[in-house]
Amino acid sequence: MESNPLLLGTLVTPLAGAIVTLLLAQSNQLQRSIAVLTGLIAWVFSVALLVQVHDLGVQTYALGNWSPPYGIVLVADSLGALFAFMVTTIMIGGLLYTFHCQDRCMTYPAFMPLFLLMEVGLVGAMLTGDLFTLFVFMELMVLASVSLTAISDDQYGLEAALKYILISSMGTLFLLLGIASLYATFGSLNMAEIAQTLLTGERPILAPASAFMLLCAFLLKSAVFPFHFWQPDFHTTAPTPISAMLSSIVVKVGVYGIIRLVTLLFVEEAPLLERWLSTLGIIGILFGSLAALRTYNVKRMLAYSTFAQIGFILVGIGWGGALAITGAIVYAFNHAFIKSALLLLMGVLASYTKIKTANFADVTGIGKKLPPALGWLVLLGGLSLSGVPPLNGFVSKLTLIQGGVDRGDWLNLIIIVGAGILTLMYMVRAWQNIFQRQPTIGAVETKEAGDSLVAPFLLICACLLLGTVFAEPLIQLVSATVSDLQDPNIYISGVKLYGNGT
Amino acid sequence: MFALAIGMLFGIGVFQLLRRDLIKAAIGFSILFSAVNLFFVAVGAFEGKYAPYVSNVEAGRQTSDPLIQALILTAIVVSFGSFSLVLGFVNIISRRYDTVDSNDINKLKH
Repeated sequence: MESNPLLLGTLVTPLAGAIVTLLLAQSNQLQRSIAVLTGLIAWVFSVALLVQVHDLGVQTYALGNWSPPYGIVLVADSLGALFAFMVTTIMIGGLLYTFHCQDRCMTYPAFMPLFLLMEVGLVGAMLTGDLFTLFVFMELMVLASVSLTAISDDQYGLEAALKYILISSMGTLFLLLGIASLYATFGSLNMAEIAQTLLTGERPILAPASAFMLLCAFLLKSAVFPFHFWQPDFHTTAPTPISAMLSSIVVKVGVYGIIRLVTLLFVEEAPLLERWLSTLGIIGILFGSLAALRTYNVKRMLAYSTFAQIGFILVGIGWGGALAITGAIVYAFNHAFIKSALLLLMGVLASYTKIKTANFADVTGIGKKLPPALGWLVLLGGLSLSGVPPLNGFVSKLTLIQGGVDRGDWLNLIIIVGAGILTLMYMVRAWQNIFQRQPTIGAVETKEAGDSLVAPFLLICACLLLGTVFAEPLIQLVSATVSDLQDPNIYISGVKLYGNGT
Repeated sequence: MFALAIGMLFGIGVFQLLRRDLIKAAIGFSILFSAVNLFFVAVGAFEGKYAPYVSNVEAGRQTSDPLIQALILTAIVVSFGSFSLVLGFVNIISRRYDTVDSNDINKLKH
């Protein structure tokens, strides 16, 4: 059994970092340095993994050297490696932001360990080849993010956290029920083995039911209509770096699960599931964009905007052709960068106000007193989100629309382009209100110093690079990924199941 | 038998979870997890329900599935962890808001 240690490295580095930071609870500065260091090491591992998967095909790590399907196996195929790379990259931005952050919750000794545990959960969910382990990692991620929101400086964080944990636990319950049904029918938890059995065309009665249960659980994780109502509260009240991570990469776990579901496990049911996905995506786009136009808080506006952007990704998956899925994955990848950068920028904005608020009523016009770089970065991020060239939002919109033209679904295309204009409207309106207008009477007083702009600046730079220099390589990488996804046999044979002619 | 018990537990759990009282909701949450765990056990218990490795089973009969029981242990730990987290949240909320009625805990509404 060949095992690739890079997989374990990507997963275990943040876990080790969490333990070490927990032991170093007295020194806050040391905790943060170690957290950033582990984030960087995990990033290096994930880059190496991405390169290896690209060159050599699917990489596996059999835990305890037990051959899959009997033991738990970590699998990095091109999709998993790409998403793990996205997670570790964005995570560096979040960890860097904690360095000069003045929030009180950052000084709690448990903050950095929980942050790193969230990364373990995210990376683990994307690299595991075993359904039950997927459940465990997702639950780890949920518990870590819920605890982080509960200790937020925002006094309503606790309320949002309680709301989310009750709802998301219902989601994980359905995930568990779906997994149990799959186990009851196939006697295995290994995704490759289940996919292999499903490919033979065997359809026990519980299989479609479990497909539906898994789909619901993943939709809930991505906050898609009708499971969306917890999302704006939860993403608004979380501490700044956490809300940036929640809105950019945590919602992508659900997207990842859905792509796995329709391309690997339930390929035959995929057309039915996809029809559902595009309908839900369109509802999400319309509702999210309109709600973002009318809301009272900048962070909340971005949370609603995430809701709309996930809708774009789902419509892409729902179209279902190779081009459309390429568009969806490129969109997911770029959106992670833009949204995390924007939320960090709004966090910086809030940190400059005395009562730490981001309500439009309070922050209108205060931009004149803030560093001018903040305003320009927010404008760049907003233009990128609405898909203006040469930023990366344009690349993702373009690939998605190409996929739509390929499918000939004109009605949904019109809605997508229209919603792009809505995005431009709410982002520009927010920017004008904050940075262009004269301060209103209700505006709050500003402080001399706020959080550092380094992390969001780096992320916006990444957006610019992804929109220009790296646009072509990214699309090529994703196209290669999608051509792998078209044939589930690549994943199945990559896992090298015991007794499968090996 | 199993199906009946699971169905009842699931029904009670969902009913409790939807109550306005947050403590009752938390307990409903725990009941729901027990229902799913029981479903898992039922999946692994084949005819006769012999314990694996220890029972003297006549040839040709199946023992229960040992893997399930390992999975259940993990699932129980996970559910216990999240249950205690929920109870902790409810505890702090009850002190901060002086109530556990979810209708009165609505500061997020604007």
